[in-house]
Amino acid sequence: MKTTMKSDSKLFSFFKYAALAVILLFLLFPLYWVLITAFKTNMEAYRYPPTFFPRHPVLTSFLSLFHENNQFFVYYKNNIIVSSFVALLCCVVAIFSGYSLARFRHRWNTWFFALLLASQMFPVISRMISLYSIMGKLGIINTLGGLSLALLAAQAPFCIILMSSFFAGIPKEIEEAAYVDGAGRWRILFSIVTPLVKSGLVAVGIYAFLMTWDDYLHAATLIQADMKRTLSVGIALRYLGELSYDWSLVNTISIVGTIPVVLLFFFFQKYMIKGLVAGAVKG
Amino acid sequence: MKPKPLSSKRSDTLFSLLLDLPAFLLLLSFIVVPIVDSVIKSFQAYGVKNIITKKPGVWNDFANYLYLFKTDDFVGATLHTFSFVIGVVLVQFLLAILLALILNSNIRGARFMRSVMMTPWVVPTVISALIWMWLFQPQYGLLKYLVSLVTFGHLSDFAILNNPSTALTGVGVAALWKQIPLMTLLLLAGLQNVPQDISEAAMIDGAGKIRRFFSIILPYLSPVIKVSVSMSIIENFKQFPLFWTMTGGGPNNSTTTLAVLSYREAFVGMNLGSGAAITTLWMLMMIAVIFGYNKLFRVQEM
Repeated sequence: MKTTMKSDSKLFSFFKYAALAVILLFLLFPLYWVLITAFKTNMEAYRYPPTFFPRHPVLTSFLSLFHENNQFFVYYKNNIIVSSFVALLCCVVAIFSGYSLARFRHRWNTWFFALLLASQMFPVISRMISLYSIMGKLGIINTLGGLSLALLAAQAPFCIILMSSFFAGIPKEIEEAAYVDGAGRWRILFSIVTPLVKSGLVAVGIYAFLMTWDDYLHAATLIQADMKRTLSVGIALRYLGELSYDWSLVNTISIVGTIPVVLLFFFFQKYMIKGLVAGAVKG
Repeated sequence: MKPKPLSSKRSDTLFSLLLDLPAFLLLLSFIVVPIVDSVIKSFQAYGVKNIITKKPGVWNDFANYLYLFKTDDFVGATLHTFSFVIGVVLVQFLLAILLALILNSNIRGARFMRSVMMTPWVVPTVISALIWMWLFQPQYGLLKYLVSLVTFGHLSDFAILNNPSTALTGVGVAALWKQIPLMTLLLLAGLQNVPQDISEAAMIDGAGKIRRFFSIILPYLSPVIKVSVSMSIIENFKQFPLFWTMTGGGPNNSTTTLAVLSYREAFVGMNLGSGAAITTLWMLMMIAVIFGYNKLFRVQEM
């Protein structure tokens, strides 16, 4: 009996490691492939069969991105502006409503919570069909400010739910003690409770930044001027329009476009992982 | 004077409503009103003319809806959407739970692998489309080479996105690549909440790995599974940039989903009214699916 159990677990652990290797290869190999293609010359990138390591690594596509194709950096800058703005405002809104949802239970908040959950379900295109004309009438179409507000509304619901799960973890006694000491409601919220949920705030801010950085549909419909385009739409329209792609350049763009969010995520991953889990499981 | 107690009900509620106000106004003006307005527009003749002249749309006796059923496009798009959602969600769940179980067993470097495997989730959707388009590239792509290698040269022109019968799978692979990490992370967090002692007690009682998985781990995990699967259903139901970048709905409309069809109708053809008809029906389907899904899960829990 002992021997069968042993051989069983040997076979089991073989399959375990094989499955792990296959899934991780699927998730990580494409990233390696993009990385090496970016350092290949176009001659080498179009070689068949492909080379698994660049023979003569070059920076040609990076230089061409900086010198000839630098419209990319206009999109890049716009994306940074919009994402930072949305992330910042999202934090403010999430502090307000997250605290309210976690602390005060009344009929209106039940409805408000249901609204937050429901609003994540509607297709973006449905909103855009209407916002396209409404924002046109208000004159805020084709502006980065208008785009940011539309995106803020899209990101706020998840951020609020996430933030409220952090506020819910703060014992109410702390606030009561401060109240007895004569602190007002706003002071309790901002200088006593909020500092205790800093890690949640980091998670909310970065989540909003990542999701806004990823946006395609809002910008595709609400922005028409090339100088105001954001990253995803800019890339899709400018660098994928031609019949034959410059694949080394496309891969370089992929890397430069991903670096900020990867850095941000890995630098704050402790908060992010905790936050994502808390937000999803609560919501 | 004694300070008044903190929980004076009325002022609490007022303060709370004041805090909700910014988010409420935001959601009202950028989500609720636009959704209602788009449903209204779906019953109107509303096109680019109305936008230029700023004239309101006119009621057109369900013409937008009747128009949808004149061709097979809408039915086709519905089928593509559902096959995409079902396929991606199912495969994603199976791979994610497998990966989560492996990472949760005491293997070396699990923490490191957990954080590295999150990278695809952070990659912007349009860029993940580019990455997979390059891997699938019909002349110089890596996949073409690997497939021809594995089939000993029998299949030497593998181009997944150019073939109407495989293109949807091709986009699905890119979606899986981007979404597996988050689901794994959530399931892994759920697994860490499964009490170790119950599982150990069952092991001593002679329950095998499979038995323990189905009668102990799965029940504890079910709330997390419910949430993460429903997040995935919603996300894939709404998926647009992957399709638009990788295939544009082609070849031969084989990847035209409801998202692609409505976008094309509303913003390429500039028939906002009939685009809105598509999104309205799409929205109803999504609500029905989520409703049914929640119901299904409730039955299972009992």
